[in-house]
Amino acid sequence: MKRIDIARRAARNLKQAKIRTLLTALAISVGAFTLTLSLAIGAGTREYFAKFLETNVNPQSLFVVADKNLVGFSGGNSDPKEYDPNAASFGGGASYKTLGESDLTKIRANKNISGVQPNYNLQATYFTYQGNTKKFTGSIMMYDKMIRGEAAAGKLPLLGQMIGADDVVVPESYLKALGVNKPADAIGKTITVRVTQPVKKLSETELQNIYAAGGLDALAAVTQGKTKDVTFTISAVAAKPATALGDTNQLAISDTKAHELTDFTTEGTAQYQRYLGAVAMVKDGVKPENAKAELEKSGYVVKTARDLQGILFTVVNVVQGIVAGFGVLALLASVFGIINTQYISVLERTGQIGLMKALGMSGRAIGKLFRYEAAWIGFLGAILGALGGIGLGTLLNPWISRKMSLGAGSHLLIFQPLPICLLILALVLVAIVAGWFPSRKAARLDPIEALRTE
Amino acid sequence: MIELTGITKTYGKGENLFTALDNIDLTIPDATVVAVVGKSGSGKSTMMHIMSGLDRPTTGVVTVNGRKLQDLSKKELDKFRAQEISFIFQSFFVQGNDSCYDNVSLPLEIAGLPRAERPGRIAAALESVELTDKTKQKAKNLSGGQKQRLAIARAIAGRPKILFADEPTGNLDTATGAIVEKLLFDYARDNKATLVIVTHDQDLANKCQMQIYVKDGKITEVKQ
Repeated sequence: MKRIDIARRAARNLKQAKIRTLLTALAISVGAFTLTLSLAIGAGTREYFAKFLETNVNPQSLFVVADKNLVGFSGGNSDPKEYDPNAASFGGGASYKTLGESDLTKIRANKNISGVQPNYNLQATYFTYQGNTKKFTGSIMMYDKMIRGEAAAGKLPLLGQMIGADDVVVPESYLKALGVNKPADAIGKTITVRVTQPVKKLSETELQNIYAAGGLDALAAVTQGKTKDVTFTISAVAAKPATALGDTNQLAISDTKAHELTDFTTEGTAQYQRYLGAVAMVKDGVKPENAKAELEKSGYVVKTARDLQGILFTVVNVVQGIVAGFGVLALLASVFGIINTQYISVLERTGQIGLMKALGMSGRAIGKLFRYEAAWIGFLGAILGALGGIGLGTLLNPWISRKMSLGAGSHLLIFQPLPICLLILALVLVAIVAGWFPSRKAARLDPIEALRTE
Repeated sequence: MIELTGITKTYGKGENLFTALDNIDLTIPDATVVAVVGKSGSGKSTMMHIMSGLDRPTTGVVTVNGRKLQDLSKKELDKFRAQEISFIFQSFFVQGNDSCYDNVSLPLEIAGLPRAERPGRIAAALESVELTDKTKQKAKNLSGGQKQRLAIARAIAGRPKILFADEPTGNLDTATGAIVEKLLFDYARDNKATLVIVTHDQDLANKCQMQIYVKDGKITEVKQ
């Protein structure tokens, strides 16, 4: 019996059991729907991140750290580690290898590198806003000139340029707490940051000497710790970030001030002039990958902008994987649906199968007939699910884009024809596999027994 | 020509051993209309199954048109059934949800007849059983007699040399049964085909050229 004739008979058999076919197909379509959306989410987010990095991150920048636990998503490892005098503890008991001034000099001296900027880990005691007596705590970081955010008010410098030495960029989310109504109102106002130097541990003799030299006041001065107030002018209010990447939920100050304040707050501690990471600029005309290889030879862990994209993509993959996981679960359930439906169908059609065998149809052809029926069900379900996913996604896209402020023309869900076609094909194969068990039952049916049933 | 030599068919083992056919020798010449007569359980149906290659004998040799069926592979046996023989059953086995056309088309598809040749054959078969006007109707909407006529159309569309009919009139009233009988006899006569009718209906058996009486797995009498 020819393949085409079997396929036509299979389709006709399904058409005659419309409701059963549709219901079985609907089970698959739930899986197809979810998988279509997961494909679309993956494609959409990847494209968005790629676009975002392209416009916001200088491709010539390298992210350099000394400890491989700081990159990727292995996270801080808090197992006890051997003591390393060059390691510094940064909160939570996690200890990381750090970069020192000598490392920065070494990186700077590399022929491929035009400049290095360490990441300062600045701990401020508190800060105050002009005209407001309240003291606020909040994180302060160095302005990242490699990532250009958007300003809700004021002006941010161009990509690769630093803000003025005494300028501060305030995130929009801080304004409410600071008592500012409109972003524009904050421009030109000042923010004063207080930093405290940790108390030096002094021996008893040293304390006695200080007391002998300067009396009680001198003693109080060394035991209370020095403080310093630095005043900044708000030059810009950073808009809420479109993605978690541009983490601007911090006060951003200039590199010189960040350096100065970090040195002040860490003086006399293990963290003094030691940095978790640094950004190195690769000279124009040098491939970042080559510069990276060169630095890695010196024992540093280096990530290029493209690597960063890779790290972001792993996040996307995880999210996509979770959504796809639900799809696969739904699919698994539908597989049993197909097996069940087809199995019952075989039992119902025993007489028909017996007749076909008596007329000389081979067991293989009969098996094929039932597998093709399963394939048609799979195809129908996959098409329904994919169309449902595309339909819903297309309807929701503008709303999602607005809610997540992705910007005009950017969509979270992007439907690409090729992966969806492959998905449909894969689902047809899954359906065929599901149809295998009942089809074998049909193929092995004894025609004499079967013809006795009616 | 159908030749059975020393055919024995048993089921089960030991104490449960049941002998359905016991050392049967039989020769049916070409273009003969034969009735196999016996009560239910006599082994007449098993005999038909073995002659048509649906079932294999425990011992003995079946030769159909010069070929020993036991020497044929499964594939060759399927081909033999698809191209040289056909069946009609007491309970019709027409596919109710399919149109009459598609019912008749089934054996032609199984036999691998080229698509272009099918419509002519199907139309001719339906015409010979006078169901042309029902071509597009679903088989389930036909009456019992019409269903059996459709089954005959399906059986003869491939122009088999041997036609097996298992109680073809068993589910029909006398008048419609007579029509079905006539159709079968006409086909055998016009095409010089062998027709093997398995029945317990003596009247029907008397209309055949040869009667084989079966009882408890043995042939008790052969009338020519």
